Amino acid sequence: MKICRLSGVLITYALGSCVGVCLYDPVIRLAGMVHIMLPNNMDSKSTNLFKYADTGIAETIRKMEVFGAVRSRMVAKIAGGARMFDIQGGGSIGNIGQRNIESVRKVLAKERIRLLAEDVGQNYARTLLFDASNGEGRIRSFGKKEVIF
Amino acid sequence: MKRYEDMGSMEMDVMREIGSIGTGNAATALAEVISSKIQMTIPEVEILGYNEAIKKMGGPESIVAGVLVQMSGEIEGMMLYIQRLDFINLVLEKLLSGRITGYEQLGEMEMSALVEIGNIMISSYINAVSKLTGISINLSVPGIAVNMLGGILTVPMIEFGHQTDKIMAINGKFVCDNKEVYSNLLMLPNVDSLNYLLKKLGVYHE
Repeated sequence: MKICRLSGVLITYALGSCVGVCLYDPVIRLAGMVHIMLPNNMDSKSTNLFKYADTGIAETIRKMEVFGAVRSRMVAKIAGGARMFDIQGGGSIGNIGQRNIESVRKVLAKERIRLLAEDVGQNYARTLLFDASNGEGRIRSFGKKEVIF
Repeated sequence: MKRYEDMGSMEMDVMREIGSIGTGNAATALAEVISSKIQMTIPEVEILGYNEAIKKMGGPESIVAGVLVQMSGEIEGMMLYIQRLDFINLVLEKLLSGRITGYEQLGEMEMSALVEIGNIMISSYINAVSKLTGISINLSVPGIAVNMLGGILTVPMIEFGHQTDKIMAINGKFVCDNKEVYSNLLMLPNVDSLNYLLKKLGVYHE
């Protein structure tokens, strides 16, 4: 999880089935980014809250509020959740990306944060950049044009 | 129960030995398929965090072809065979007498050759391990992804993510025709399977 304010670009490299969540308060230009690996935190003793969609997003919002963000102003952009390998009978490998996306959407809705844009699913990894100066997201991926969202 | 990071030098040696036997058999299989001389390095047992693992293998955005097979049965986890462009060309020259200059040129024919090579090597690896230990391991059909290394490595990281923040990889490298053409074959057992394996081999008592 990373936070920056006014200027600077947050970046997370090569999101596969993970989901990158960008949170932004446009008024004070505070940007936060968290890299979600799994849909739910089922272990209360877990030391790394940011790995999971439910605890990760909630904790990022809390940290951003400490820095002055106001929840009602915050917006979100998400990317990732790909299905990297197509394996028949592969079980969880096949749909973990999709489950991550769904969980992230659900948590954002529950936290009452508006989801502005998403670039999710399919079968390729994405590098996600998020600009704190204007809340613009950019996505780099292999063999595809850069996406601005 | 031992976590990856609790493993001592004794356990590491045992895993390295298992890796050597598997990797040796995989090398033989590769040599037969592409009728070339293949050398292998002694596999390293690596217990790494996500970022370390990616850095060690060439950076998150480097493009590779990865062949993935899931292990189930008495041992659960994954086998991942990472191929880079120079290795891919070596294989394509031998099998299809063609070359490519970039990953985007990999067509259906080329991909299926790479999957098959990966599948043959992984199967001989696991066969050897299975024979040595008397443990039965089932393998899924192989899948392939040509993409950023970081994205490919998230697949095992996520699969074991509820149990650990690290992965244990038994990393074997191959050198073809004395050229510095590397490819990595990783065995990634989950934590339970690692314990089972160590117990079965008599190196770990509760």
